Amino acid sequence: MENQLRQKAKELLEKGEAKVVIGYGWNKRKTRTTPVFITKPEDVEKLVFNPLCVNNLSLYLTRKFTDIKALGKPAIVAKGCDIKTITVLISESQIKREDVVILGMTCNGVVYKQELWKGELKPEIMPTKCHNCDVRNPQSPLPTLPPQVGEEKGGGRSLAADFVIGEKVNFTPPDTPAGMVFDKIRDLDKKSGEERWGFWIEHFNRCIKCYACRQICPLCYCDRCIAEKNMPQWIETSAHPRGNLAWNLKRAMDLAGRCTFCGECERACPVNIPLNLVNQKMALVVKDAFGHRAGYDEKVHPPMIVFNMEDEEDFIK
Amino acid sequence: MANKLLKKENLGKLIDTLSGEGSIFVAPRMDARQVVYAPVEKMDEIVFDYIIPINSFKEFLFPQTETVAAFSIHKEGVDLRGVEIEPKETVIFGSRPCDAASVASLRAVFNWDFKDEFYNRREDKAVVMTVACTKADESCFCTTVNLTPDSPNGSDILLKETNDNGYIVEALTDKGKKFVERFNNIFTPQPSAFSLQPIADVKHIVGADVKKIQEWLKDTKNYENPIWAELARKCIGCGACTFACPTCHCFDIVDEGSAFEGERIKNWDACQFEFFTLHTSGHNPRDTQYKRWRNRFMCKFNFYPNKFSSRGCVGCGRCIRVCPVRLDITEVMEEVSNQP
Repeated sequence: MENQLRQKAKELLEKGEAKVVIGYGWNKRKTRTTPVFITKPEDVEKLVFNPLCVNNLSLYLTRKFTDIKALGKPAIVAKGCDIKTITVLISESQIKREDVVILGMTCNGVVYKQELWKGELKPEIMPTKCHNCDVRNPQSPLPTLPPQVGEEKGGGRSLAADFVIGEKVNFTPPDTPAGMVFDKIRDLDKKSGEERWGFWIEHFNRCIKCYACRQICPLCYCDRCIAEKNMPQWIETSAHPRGNLAWNLKRAMDLAGRCTFCGECERACPVNIPLNLVNQKMALVVKDAFGHRAGYDEKVHPPMIVFNMEDEEDFIK
Repeated sequence: MANKLLKKENLGKLIDTLSGEGSIFVAPRMDARQVVYAPVEKMDEIVFDYIIPINSFKEFLFPQTETVAAFSIHKEGVDLRGVEIEPKETVIFGSRPCDAASVASLRAVFNWDFKDEFYNRREDKAVVMTVACTKADESCFCTTVNLTPDSPNGSDILLKETNDNGYIVEALTDKGKKFVERFNNIFTPQPSAFSLQPIADVKHIVGADVKKIQEWLKDTKNYENPIWAELARKCIGCGACTFACPTCHCFDIVDEGSAFEGERIKNWDACQFEFFTLHTSGHNPRDTQYKRWRNRFMCKFNFYPNKFSSRGCVGCGRCIRVCPVRLDITEVMEEVSNQP
C-alpha cells in the first residue's frame, strides 16, 4: 500500500500534476506519525500509511496555511473520513474540487490517540467514528450522477478520490451506531437538564483556552475568529467558567451540521474535554431536524448556513 | 542540615496538618483520565506512579486568569482599585526536577525590569517539594538541556524514593529547611541503612547541542534560513505547547465587564497565536505560522539564555506530548545543531 502511495505521489510530482503531496511520515524515532509536505519526487520514500495516521490533513488545504498554498497545487493523502471534510470545504466554497488531487486511502481504522498504539489495531483503541465507518473504501473514478434540476451536466459526488490506494476493505457498519460516544449520548439524554448542565460545566471548566480544538479543525477556517474580536468582546478570553462556557458553546454551534465527526478537536484537547460528544450530539440533532449528514455531498450546503426560499419556517422570510 | 526520612504514611499527616492551617497542597492526581498538578485534600487522591503531569505547576505561581484591578464609573467620577493579593502557603509536592528548574526562569522574567508583585508574592509562599524521577518517557529530554532526573535546581526540598515506601529528604533552600524543621514529627531522622530506587535513565539526544544552537540562532543571517518554513510548516498555531510549558510566561491584559464597572484581568497568552503580534495598523510582523514557531524556539534557546542566567527550556517534553501534529522540538534542536 505504501509503495503504491509513493509511486503515485512520485508520478504526480514528476508530471507536475501536483506541486506538493500532503501526507504522513514518521517522526525521527519512528514511534509516531506526523504531517509531511513532499515537494521533491525523490522524497516520496518519506510517505507512510498505517493505523497511527490519525490526523485529518485536510486542515492544510484551508486558507489559513498561506505558505502551503504558495507551494502550488496540492495532492492530499486522505482517508474516507478526511474526504468527508474536504467535501464540506468544497460545498462551502473554500476549495475547488479540481484544485486538489485526492489520494483516497482504503482504511482499516486508526487509533484514537497515537500513544495508545502497542503494535496492534484492536477495536478498544479505535475511536467511535471507526466503529461506524461507512467510508472505508473511497471511490474512483468520480461517479457521474444524472443532472439535477438547473444543471446542464451531471457532476461528481463527494467521497470520490482521484486515485484509490490500497486493497478493498471489507467492513459493514452496524445498523445502530455503536461505540463509546453513542453510549454516552444515550446516558446523558436520560439525565435531567440540570444534571446535563452540571456535566458540561464540569468539563468546560477544565478548558485552558489554548484553542487547539479550533486550530486543528479543518472547518474552523475564519480569517478572524469571533473569540479574537474585542470591540466588543463577544467571547471573554479569560479561562474562567463564563469565558470557557461561552467559547465552547460558540464552537459547538458553529460546527452544528458542518462537523464530519473526524474527532480531531477531542484528540488535540490537552485537557480531555469530550468534544466528540458535543459534536456527535449536534450531528444527531441536525440529522433529526433536517435529514442532513455533513460530508456526503459537495452540492448540498449545510442547513445552518443556507438561506432557502422554500424554508417552511416563515420567521425567516 | 542532615537528610531526613519521609515515610508515605506520614505524608497523609502532612497534608492534614497543612490543610488545617489553611495551606494549599498541590500534588499529582488524576483528572479526566490523565495526571495533573492540582490541589488535593487527602493522601489517597495523590498519584505516585506517574512520569510527569500534563500541566506544569506554573499556574500556582502565575495563574492563567488573574484580576489585577477593578474600576467603576459614577456621577462623581471614576473609581480605580488595585488588587492586593495575600496568597496562601502553597506546597507543591511531587514536582519533577525539570519543573523545579523552571521557577528560576519565571522569577527572572517577572523581576527583570518591573517587579511583578503578583508573581513574587505567590512564589514567596510556595514550597517546591520535588521527587526525583525514577521513570521517563520518550519525550523527556532534560539531560539534553543539561539538567538531570535528580537535579536539585529550583527545588526547596528534594525527595528520592526508597525501596520501602518512603523518601530521603534533602532540604536545599532556607525555605525548605524551615519547612522540614517545622514538621519535625513528620520528617524523621534518616535511617543508617536504606536503599534508593534507581534514577531514570534519560538519554542525552546525540546531535542536539544547546551551545551550538544558541550560536547559530545568534547569527542574524540565519533568521531567514529556509529551514524554518520546512521544519515548522505543520504547526497549526494553537497554544497547547506554550500553555503546557513551564517557562512560557507571556500574558495579555483585558478589561471585562460593562462600560460602568469591570475588572482588569491578566490572562495567559501565546506567541503561537496569529493575533499575538498583530499591530493596530493591520501589519503583522509574524505573518505566517513558521515565524511564530521560530519565535518560540528563539525565545527558548537564544533570547532567554542571552538575557538571563536561567534556562528557557528545561526539557520536560510537554510541548512534544501535547502537540496535535507532533512537532517535536528535539528534532528541530538536532536539525539546527546540524546546520553548518
